[in-house]
Amino acid sequence: MQMTAAEQTAEQAEADMKQEEATPEETVKKSGKRKLVAREERATVGEMAVENPRMSCRNVDVYYNFGEKKAINNISLDIGRNEVIAMIGPSGCGKSTFLRCLNRMNDTIEGCQVKGEISMDGKNIYDKDVDVVPLRAQVGMVFQKPNPFPKSIYENIAYGPKIHGLVQNRDETDELVENSLKRAGLWNEVKDRLDQPGTGLSGGQQQRLCIARTIAVNPEIILMDEPCSALDPIATAIIEDLIDELKQEYTIAIVTHSMQQASRVSQRTAYFHLGDLIEIGPTDQIFLNPLHQLTEDYITGRFG
Amino acid sequence: MKKLLVAATALVFGLGLSNVSGAFAGSSRDYISIVGSSTVYPFATVVAEQFGKSTAFKTPKIESTGSGGGHKLFGAGVGVQHPDITNSSRRIKKSELEKAMKNGVKEIVEVKIGYDGIVVANSKKATAMKLTRKDLFLALAKDVPSGNVAGKTVPNPYKTWKDVNPALPDIKIEVLGPPPTSGTRDAFVELAMEGGAKKFAWIKALKKQDKKAYKALCHTIREDGAYIEAGENDNLIVQKLEANPNALGIFGFSFLDQNTDKVQGSFIDGVQPEFDAIADGSYPVSRPLFFYVKKAHVNTIPGIKEFLAEFTSEQAWGDEGYLTDKGLIPMPADERAKYQAAVKNLTPLTLGDL
Amino acid sequence: MSNSDAINGSGNGRVRTMDIVNKGLAKRYKRERRFRMMGLSAIILSLAFLSLLFISIIANGYTAFEQTMIQLDVHLDAQEIDKENLAAANYLGLIRTSLKKTFPDVKKRRDKRKMYNLVSPGASFMLQDFVMRNRHEIGNTITIWVPADDDVDMLMKGNIKRDVPESERRMNDMQLSWVDKLIASGQIKKVFNTTFFTAGDSREPELAGIWGAACGSFYTLIVTLLLSFPIGVAAAVYLEEFAPTNRWTDLIEVNINNLAAVPSIVFGLLGLAVFLNFFELPRSAPLVGGLVLTLMTLPTIIIASRAALKSVPPSIREAALGVGASKTQMVTHHVLPLALPGMLTGTIIGMAQALGETAPLLMIGMVAFIVDIPGGFTDPSTVLPVQIFLWADSPERAFLERTSAAIMILLAFLVTMNAVAVLLRKKFERRW
Repeated sequence: MQMTAAEQTAEQAEADMKQEEATPEETVKKSGKRKLVAREERATVGEMAVENPRMSCRNVDVYYNFGEKKAINNISLDIGRNEVIAMIGPSGCGKSTFLRCLNRMNDTIEGCQVKGEISMDGKNIYDKDVDVVPLRAQVGMVFQKPNPFPKSIYENIAYGPKIHGLVQNRDETDELVENSLKRAGLWNEVKDRLDQPGTGLSGGQQQRLCIARTIAVNPEIILMDEPCSALDPIATAIIEDLIDELKQEYTIAIVTHSMQQASRVSQRTAYFHLGDLIEIGPTDQIFLNPLHQLTEDYITGRFG
Repeated sequence: MKKLLVAATALVFGLGLSNVSGAFAGSSRDYISIVGSSTVYPFATVVAEQFGKSTAFKTPKIESTGSGGGHKLFGAGVGVQHPDITNSSRRIKKSELEKAMKNGVKEIVEVKIGYDGIVVANSKKATAMKLTRKDLFLALAKDVPSGNVAGKTVPNPYKTWKDVNPALPDIKIEVLGPPPTSGTRDAFVELAMEGGAKKFAWIKALKKQDKKAYKALCHTIREDGAYIEAGENDNLIVQKLEANPNALGIFGFSFLDQNTDKVQGSFIDGVQPEFDAIADGSYPVSRPLFFYVKKAHVNTIPGIKEFLAEFTSEQAWGDEGYLTDKGLIPMPADERAKYQAAVKNLTPLTLGDL
Repeated sequence: MSNSDAINGSGNGRVRTMDIVNKGLAKRYKRERRFRMMGLSAIILSLAFLSLLFISIIANGYTAFEQTMIQLDVHLDAQEIDKENLAAANYLGLIRTSLKKTFPDVKKRRDKRKMYNLVSPGASFMLQDFVMRNRHEIGNTITIWVPADDDVDMLMKGNIKRDVPESERRMNDMQLSWVDKLIASGQIKKVFNTTFFTAGDSREPELAGIWGAACGSFYTLIVTLLLSFPIGVAAAVYLEEFAPTNRWTDLIEVNINNLAAVPSIVFGLLGLAVFLNFFELPRSAPLVGGLVLTLMTLPTIIIASRAALKSVPPSIREAALGVGASKTQMVTHHVLPLALPGMLTGTIIGMAQALGETAPLLMIGMVAFIVDIPGGFTDPSTVLPVQIFLWADSPERAFLERTSAAIMILLAFLVTMNAVAVLLRKKFERRW
């Protein structure tokens, strides 16, 4: 269905070129000739579907203010297993809004409505019988600004497992805290001061603490909303290495402003523009041979 | 945190439950509840304290609600939530008694406890004023008779005491007194102003013809600033008099008695407010004080009988009793005997008595 | 200046800017200084008024912490005191006999009355207590210090002047001579006024104390706190965290804000109608007082609590939801602990307001003369500000200083409460 949309776009844009029947591979080949989809076109180009997806989104619309303002428009994409998918685009393009749909964080915003279908392992997470609490345990989230709880480092990690009943006693908790901190690469830095406030760490450490807190619940998917935007380059590099390691076990969706970061950490990249998903595909292809003029403009720094 | 919340909630609910049970099961009261006049309050409290200390009963609780407020609460019904006794600086009104009877308070025992003088005083720094009730009426009424024509009144034109009566000093009329809610004010208006107004023959005659007009004329105090409402706090009036030697103040005798070093009572109709003068009735501005007992409560609330006995004992209200130390003017011996008997027999008041 | 000279040479545009800036600079600084001065003088002015208030209260009231006592040698006549029925003995008579012995030359009846009035009417009860505790002393002559009458007390404290003519004094020359005699023989002294801190109200200033009112205030505030804090916080949490924003919640919010400005007497009338007339709770009880004051303080607590909840950063909420906390868990585990200091502050402000309130209590009968110290939530009682009001209205001169002393106690209560609030806030804030 989504393919059809792409075809139609192509048809309307470059009717004379007769590319309706072109497969994505062919499109890539064609793009080698640098024939780009025109800027006015808003339908998604590129390969949005993957085999056996972890999450798949179809025709997602998001409205704010009880339907007054449309934030994102008819977005369809799949998130594969154990991949890092990056979402890029200029400010206000809807990439964060979309990310927050994936664990229903938008539910907390009054007047926010989500239409379309977002399913995880075949089950629509917006169905009435879906409970957001287990959903969010499965789909963890790391926020733009490090936001550790104003509690001790230990408590920060132990909180999620405790409320979900993943640990039964102090020993199990200790072990889980240690493991999570180790996986987040923070253990060596904080092992002697687990009882100190998490807010007393540096920005980079705080963000890794937040990542450790997220993985302590053992989610299947981790959503990261510009996790490095408040960090210096060194802290950013550490986090990026961490993301690289985490992708062995987790599916990661990351929103970023930095194209370098997207290209460094992700396998696939989605480019958003003013609420539309413009282009999606393998990261190399997006950055080297974009199919859409807007993507090209953005990655070459013409705007955004 | 959680435990704290749970504990607090439990406490609140526990408290709530005990309220309800207290409200519905607690149909007993082990102390006497007294309401009523602020003038009788200083006397009733002394008796209550003496009673509480010298007997095994609890000390009665006394609220100063004013005479009218007291009668309203008192006459609301029979039962522990209603007071047992109300103090009054005037006799109960027929309407109040009727209302009480309608509410089931059938038998009320009236006890007169003595007299209170209302004094017009000024600072000791000035000379004592020699006033008559007529002077007070002319100085303080809103409208005063004009010339000698019957029925004709003009808004009070007098600015100084000399205007009122050439024998008085040439001082601006400035009187500090209680507000209309006060029993002292009621008594002053009734005894001093009305007494003065009656000196005019046509006003006296008006009483029979048009009682309403008569009352309006005698009881309305001027509002042009010569009479200053000083609030219910009589101590405040004493302080203000000290600061302003030209001003006069109106308050109860007990305050004069306690502040003889600061203020002096004015002569009224030639008599200065002194203990003996009030007791023998020669001082004109004095009033009787009462309390009223609910007979139905006498046997349900412990201590009422004993309290009445204490109040009506010679050591309390007698000529040398401790109430006289607090400024109560005792009744003559035969009147005391009469009310003592009424208390002993608990003779109820009837509508015919009023 | 050398700096600006250097800049002068560097370019035309810059010179002009600097000149303009320099020209206005003095004026700018002057204005700033003036503003600072105004702020400073406002502070100084309010401090001056505050110290004036404190000085006048303390100057009036510190003497109330002392009480004049008179030493009496009382012969506990075994014939007068029935060992089986100690309460029936005429203790007043014993005191009077003792006074007669001290001043043997007083013969006239009137003078004797004056002499008896040197000591407080409470003396006989003190003697009674003494005998009850020391049965073995019956038959002996004991030495006992009893409180002096308030007039003697005032004289000793200099509030009754000796140098004015006799007619203008509350005590005549003869009474003065008796006091002088007592002073000369060391039978009169001023001691720390423990009665003031242990007794309930009394019509005799020397026997009156603040403890009954303090207990009443305590019970009333306990009820107020236990009801208004949980209810207020629950209401605030619901409105702030769970309630949808619609016309109804807007209406509720507006009404809560309006309630905070309603005169407190109105709550008293409400309490009279609801708690006394409808639920038939007892009059004059701290329970009802607490309920009425709860109504009065709830809006304050709700408003303060909502402000505290609003000030919790949304990132904390997102963090909690992000790891899968339910909304209630988010509120109780993260938002409430962070908002608690602010809520406590609001509660303490509300409590302090409730502590100083008399008007609503008037309607429910807590403005009353109550001698016995309340022992529970349904005993008749009064509260500190009411006690102050009642004493201020009493004719006896000695109540003047007691009024000021009671104000000091009330202020001490308030300061203690605020200190507790600060401590609590510190404690909770330290938990990050």
